[in-house]
Amino acid sequence: MRFRRYALLLAVLLTSLFLLTVQTRGGGPTRATDLVALAITPVQILLANAHRGALSAWHTFTDWKTVRSENMALRADNERLRVQSLQVRETDQENSRLRRLLALRDRMPLATLTGEIIGREGGGWARSLTVNRGRADGVAQQMPVIVPEGLVGRVAQVRSGASIVQLLNDPTSTVGAVVQRTRTLGLVEGEPGGGVRFKFMARDGAGVAPGDLIVTSGLGTLFPKGIPVGRVTAIEDKGSALFHFAVLAPAVDAARVEEVLLLTGQPAQDVAGLFTPDG
Amino acid sequence: MRLSLLLMAFGGSLAQSSVVPSWSVGGVSPDLPLILTALIALRRGPEAGCLVGFAAGLLQDATGGGLLGVQALSRALAGFAMGLLPGRLWVGHPLVQIPGLVLLTVAEGLVRFGLLQLFHFPASIGELLVHVILPQALYNGFLGAACVLAVELAHTLRGRHTWI
Repeated sequence: MRFRRYALLLAVLLTSLFLLTVQTRGGGPTRATDLVALAITPVQILLANAHRGALSAWHTFTDWKTVRSENMALRADNERLRVQSLQVRETDQENSRLRRLLALRDRMPLATLTGEIIGREGGGWARSLTVNRGRADGVAQQMPVIVPEGLVGRVAQVRSGASIVQLLNDPTSTVGAVVQRTRTLGLVEGEPGGGVRFKFMARDGAGVAPGDLIVTSGLGTLFPKGIPVGRVTAIEDKGSALFHFAVLAPAVDAARVEEVLLLTGQPAQDVAGLFTPDG
Repeated sequence: MRLSLLLMAFGGSLAQSSVVPSWSVGGVSPDLPLILTALIALRRGPEAGCLVGFAAGLLQDATGGGLLGVQALSRALAGFAMGLLPGRLWVGHPLVQIPGLVLLTVAEGLVRFGLLQLFHFPASIGELLVHVILPQALYNGFLGAACVLAVELAHTLRGRHTWI
């Protein structure tokens, strides 16, 4: 066994030395190396190609992974920034609304209570808002509800923690009003279709024209005088009828109201100068 | 089994000229055929080590364009010597195998240098040691450690079936 081992070593050594000797004697191993090269060159090419292919695939994979993760991160960033932007815009708008409401409250020479809208009813049968102020806050029926642009409506129902505000365009709503420019008296009524109209007596000198501002008349006991209600957009002339109607664009877009002031006091003075009916 | 050993030697030698250059660090590449020779010699004895070393070295000589027989001889000696170690040293432990591989690389380099000296090789041993042999020996040590771990893992996965 040991002899065989050393015999093998000797054979290998002799072969190597023979090869070396042949080369140095000028014979050269050209033919032998050519034969070896013939056998191994295709395999070398194959290995090199496989290696290049594997490297290329690996680089493609790592690039794809990088791009994919970057894409995902950018998408997440984009989504987050969009949400943030919306939040900022929302906060900005809310801030602006609250500032105007606060300014109105400060200017208002009567007791007020701020409220937030927590519900809406917009069907043809009734149009109302639910405010988060109720009996416990001292809210009573028929209290006027306003925003910086003008009149929203009146409190129709009071519950323990909330109140229902009847909107101006509710079909059963009626508010005593006057044309600010000519002092023509009339009634602002809601319509089943959602519009608001000003009903006035058609007599000589009853000057109502498109663009006129209609404000509360203050003649009843419910609303202070001078709260903007709407602006005339058209006159419906009924010929010889006793009453004519003017179509109004409400001063307040009830669909966009989010915070309101509830008037808890009843002054007899004109508050028209405190409002900004056109926004 | 002998065929598989020769195929490994063949594959290792060809990989050395095609794949291994891309593993170079600071201009130093590992010597994959020598690592294979050493690992096979440790596990299969001096005959296998000698044959695989000879075959791998011969192929490297042929592909490298140098003197045919130099690496065949030095690697055959290295494989034979490495194959004699089991029984004398606790070669089953990586802490023996890795330094052993480093030393073997150095020894193989010295043998090769000695052989080339017979043919008037111009470089000095100092330069070769500093720039070629020692860096490659260290690289071989690290790569050898990885190979040993891979072989152990393969054995574990294949239910301790010996394939080297």
